Amino acid sequence: MQTQPSRRPDQASLAAVAAVDLVKVYGTGDTAVRALDGVTVGFDRGRFTAIMGPSGSGKSTLMHCLAGLDTATSGQVLLGGTDLTRQNDRILTKARRERIGFVFQSFNLLPQLTAAANITLPLDLAGRRPDAELYDRLVTTLGLAGRLGHLPSELSGGQQQRVALARALVSRPEVIFADEPTGNLDSRSGAEVLGLLRDSARDLGQTIVMVTHDPGAAAYADRVVMLADGRLAGEIHSPDIAAVTDALQSLAAGR
Amino acid sequence: MNPVLRTQMAGVARRPARLLLTGLAVLVASFVVYATVLAQQITERSILNGLSGTPEAVDLVVRNGDINTKQLAAISALPGVAETAARTESGGPFGNDYLSVLSDPGSGPLSIITMREGRFPTGPGEIVVTPRTVERLGLALGSTAELDMGEGRRVPLKVSGIADTRDDWGFLAYAPITTVTGLAGADFLSQIDVRLDSGADAGAIQQRLTELTKGAEAPEVATGADVRLSEAREAAGEVDQVFAVVATFVAVAVIAAGLIAASTFRIVFAQRLRQLALLRAVGAGKASLSRALAAEGVLTGLVAGVTGVLGALAAGHLVPLLAGAFGWKVASPGFPLGKAAATVLLAVVITVLAVLAPAVSAARVAPLEALRSAASAGAQRGIGVLRWITGLLLTGAAVAAAGYVQVNLPGPDPENYDPLPLLLGVVVSGGFAYLALIALGPALVRPVLAVTGWPLRRLGPVGKLAVGGVGGSTRRAAAVSVVVALGVTLIAGVLVGGASIQVLGDRELAASAPADFELSSSEGAPLPAGVVDRAKGSTEVARATPYRRTGSVTVGSLSDLSATDLSVKALPRLADLDFRSGSAEGAGPGKAVIAGFLADDANLAVGDTGEAAIGPKKVRFEVIGVLSDMAPLHTQLVLDPADLTALGVAPAPTGLLADAARAGEEGRTEALRVLRTTIVGQPEFGVVVLADQRDQMKTALTVLLAIAIGLVGLTVLIAVVGVGATTALSVVERVRESGLLRAVGMSRGSLRAMLTTESALYGVIGAAFGLALGVPYAWLALRATGVNAPFTLPVWQLAAVFAALVALTALAGVLPARRAARVSPVSALGTE
Repeated sequence: MQTQPSRRPDQASLAAVAAVDLVKVYGTGDTAVRALDGVTVGFDRGRFTAIMGPSGSGKSTLMHCLAGLDTATSGQVLLGGTDLTRQNDRILTKARRERIGFVFQSFNLLPQLTAAANITLPLDLAGRRPDAELYDRLVTTLGLAGRLGHLPSELSGGQQQRVALARALVSRPEVIFADEPTGNLDSRSGAEVLGLLRDSARDLGQTIVMVTHDPGAAAYADRVVMLADGRLAGEIHSPDIAAVTDALQSLAAGR
Repeated sequence: MNPVLRTQMAGVARRPARLLLTGLAVLVASFVVYATVLAQQITERSILNGLSGTPEAVDLVVRNGDINTKQLAAISALPGVAETAARTESGGPFGNDYLSVLSDPGSGPLSIITMREGRFPTGPGEIVVTPRTVERLGLALGSTAELDMGEGRRVPLKVSGIADTRDDWGFLAYAPITTVTGLAGADFLSQIDVRLDSGADAGAIQQRLTELTKGAEAPEVATGADVRLSEAREAAGEVDQVFAVVATFVAVAVIAAGLIAASTFRIVFAQRLRQLALLRAVGAGKASLSRALAAEGVLTGLVAGVTGVLGALAAGHLVPLLAGAFGWKVASPGFPLGKAAATVLLAVVITVLAVLAPAVSAARVAPLEALRSAASAGAQRGIGVLRWITGLLLTGAAVAAAGYVQVNLPGPDPENYDPLPLLLGVVVSGGFAYLALIALGPALVRPVLAVTGWPLRRLGPVGKLAVGGVGGSTRRAAAVSVVVALGVTLIAGVLVGGASIQVLGDRELAASAPADFELSSSEGAPLPAGVVDRAKGSTEVARATPYRRTGSVTVGSLSDLSATDLSVKALPRLADLDFRSGSAEGAGPGKAVIAGFLADDANLAVGDTGEAAIGPKKVRFEVIGVLSDMAPLHTQLVLDPADLTALGVAPAPTGLLADAARAGEEGRTEALRVLRTTIVGQPEFGVVVLADQRDQMKTALTVLLAIAIGLVGLTVLIAVVGVGATTALSVVERVRESGLLRAVGMSRGSLRAMLTTESALYGVIGAAFGLALGVPYAWLALRATGVNAPFTLPVWQLAAVFAALVALTALAGVLPARRAARVSPVSALGTE
């Protein structure tokens, strides 16, 4: 079922996931909103990339399309050579299960499952066994060893987000999408989670794409992609807080 | 308007489907309640029309006294009287049977027969007969029945037609009044039905009739309505009881609807916790919040109640139409408006009561809750200490009541036993047990789930998630499965009770009706030679078994006993006989099987030796089996043929038992015909169709069971609707969860399967609770009635109920599950 990908050497060769001329329109006629207006961007393998932009810039829509959660109006989403925009729900479901991991702002753990069961949920759904070595390493690194039997309601926000992170990492997905992962956390827990995301990219070679509006969070990334009005508005490599804040301010001023 | 109320109403207006969903249980309840009201109406009218025997057109009735044809003529001539019909009965022996001849006008509104073939007699010497009479008495259209009226008077009656009547007993003929009085040879009428001209003064004519029939034994002059009512009462002796049972079951159904409504409201409120908390945060008072929610309950109850009543009304008026299409006469239920209003009011009251508890607890929400996620609301596990204590106290009360019943259970043959107090004890205990189940339900869900969910968990992640989903919110699971349990408890009780009574009935029938036919004389005379051989030689008759039966047997101090030599192994139906101890094994000379009461009164047990005597002749016998009831053929003692001969009983058989060789009414009629021919011309002998008695008893029992199960079905219906509503609401409530599962790679099909399985699990848990309560209580209730019924477990029926309920509850979850699977993960995750 895999279609032959159309290659774009400049963008797609190194990219774990890439968008090519991606357009997403909500609504029709006068009320139509172009949330994405021809975005072409690649996310390199093994790198931690942040997508930033003011509210309504289309950063969440971009992530949803990249992750196969939402369908684009036109353009392509290339995940390791597969064009996700041309696939039916069954293939998308399989891709989400086996090739993509998620970390959400509101954790989204299943309340009735223990931490351990939440971590292995995608693998269970795929009918696979977790890699025991990786699982143990993740549990230790993320500091969840004593919490595996607990229900989400018995965990702190930071702990819940670390469980969600473990859930995303344990299936060795090609890319992890993190949607404002620190939005519901206090600054210390937030910093912890961001550090873990960065380490996952560095130590495990995990490709991570994070949507955030917090310059502090973006500073943990290897690269920041700026988005405004549904279009690409520049990028910063090896960012620091000041550079990101400046870029955001100039974006706001330019509007 | 209260701003809180306005907010709520705006929500209702925006999502009317949710209001309806919440009220679905109440809707079904009011449908059921009003449908029962209409069913009662239909039945009562049909009873008055059919079972009272007096046609609806009758305005006045003269009865219970001396009435003659002169008075009849006088009454018929009265101004204002449109028509009269005299009722009286005569009849006489016809061959070995009796033919009853009743008077009827033959046509018009006062007639109680409907012509099927031929014509109603126009002159004397003619009758019409019923179809069964044609079959049983071997009559045909145009044939002549000659009645032997005694003293050499023989009256030939020609069959001029065949007519249907209400109860066809198989020996009924109808003729004009002159024919019947002529046959009886006396001027006596038992009743005169009078129809008046429209607009006639019934009171004045009633007065006139009383004057006309004055005399020593003056008859009563009653209105047709009164007579119909009193006649219906006779039939309604049972009907009143049936409706009392109906009312009980309806009450249970209403309670079930209340429970379901309470649980659905609770879920809706849990879902709106954030919204409520927000209202509290911006300054809404607790009281106004409670009032607003209660007002919503009233609205829901009103809408659901009216919809349910209208639905029931439509269904109720459809029934006579449908039945008419099949040729059954069923009365229309009419429009009982008062009861409709009462039903709607009941729906509102239930809904408000159901809403009150959740409304109060929802209004107690701390404003701070608004700042927290509501995701965990409704998914509470376990129960508080207070609830534990309440539940355990209730359990204790149930056990105590059951223990009281157990201790006071009657012995095997109780005398002057009144079962009511103990039955009441069973009901009280059952009520406590059920309340305990409600209280402790959430704590019981997980252990039950651990057992029942085990195979599911092995089936992979979908099963595991479904079990986890149910186990994760035990309160929700308990709330809905408790209602399922109520339905299953009642069904299991009815099935177990029915099966046990059926076995008891079979045993009694084995003793009283061991074969299809019994041929014997009333005086116990020996059968004429050749009867047994001719019966045995016929292909229509099977298992022709001759026996001897004798009275005046004495055992010890007990006299006037009867004994037979019918072997307990002779006929297959005798295998249903229940032995209290011992058996028929080793039967032979000097051995006997005895009835239970003889064993008690003569103090005989298996292995003991007794002595039977007829006059001076005596035999000794050893008891090999003691029956729990009577011995076959209403005897107390089954002896070996040799012993019976030794007592001086003649060797010729006194009776013959036989079965029809072929099944069905036709085979039975043929066999009956053959047996009758063997005794033609010997009027002291007769053939009794035991099979008819057996059929009657079985039909009565089946009808009773069907009624009971139909009524219990109403509760099950509500339970299934409750499961559907709960699944639907839990799907709405957990839309984020569905979105997450889809996001992390669960396919639509798996999500559907998971939610449907969850719904089926409610059925599994409920059915498990229900069987655990229903079976023991059915047994206790059965023993408390004092009947000697054995405990019988209809395993396959119960398994079928279990399977059907699980299937139904799964079905209830299919639609909500489909809906959940259609939602896109992005919008699901975006939902608060």
